[in-house]
Amino acid sequence: MRRSYKRNFDQIARIVADTAQFFSEHNIDDALRMKVDLSLEELFVNMVTYNTETDRDILLEMKPIDGGIEVSLTDYDVERFDPTLGGQVDIDAPLSERTPGGLGLYLVLKMADSIHYEYHDRTSKITFRNIKSGGGAG
Amino acid sequence: MFDIDFNEKGEVVVSGRLDAAHASRAQAFLDRVEGGCVVDMGSLEYISSAGLGVLLSTHKRLMSARQGLELVNVNPHINDIFRYSGFDKLFVIRLA
Repeated sequence: MRRSYKRNFDQIARIVADTAQFFSEHNIDDALRMKVDLSLEELFVNMVTYNTETDRDILLEMKPIDGGIEVSLTDYDVERFDPTLGGQVDIDAPLSERTPGGLGLYLVLKMADSIHYEYHDRTSKITFRNIKSGGGAG
Repeated sequence: MFDIDFNEKGEVVVSGRLDAAHASRAQAFLDRVEGGCVVDMGSLEYISSAGLGVLLSTHKRLMSARQGLELVNVNPHINDIFRYSGFDKLFVIRLA
């Protein structure tokens, strides 16, 4: 699957529907849905929120792999930002020190069985995999 | 779809998907809550960091008056997200 989405949060519902259809068409284990939905949303929201220099669509690609799924999101006209280097959150901190910031990427890194970042010509591509019974959380 | 409302017991009931598209509506609703509050999550299917942020900020506000949110009827998938986020150490959580 290869599909583009406008840069706004209303597109999340479309992404969820397209993901559900892809899972069904390719008989991908539904146990992976929550992880894939979460990682997709967090990465998409991150692109929409932090890259305001362009109105180009964000490209979503999915393909079935042995035991799971590979998902890529590509953003254009963007500065380099490697999400695999971030995502540090102290989940043991007391309530007074907790803030919502950073939780999204932290969860992506927690959920994915593998994640890869590419950057060239002001184009960012993030690819993650989720595999049934893989090493990701849960 | 996402919905948030009070039930007849005065508890907050959330249902559907609490994602970035719906977080501002959830925040506006919970901003009206005063004192301790039970949130029934029996029909909540999904939550992302945007939804977690709404719960966290509301809980912090209420805890400043030694009150807070109690999350009940939490399904195992949502509870996994809470555990990964460390919310199990911050909130009273009761599983479905």
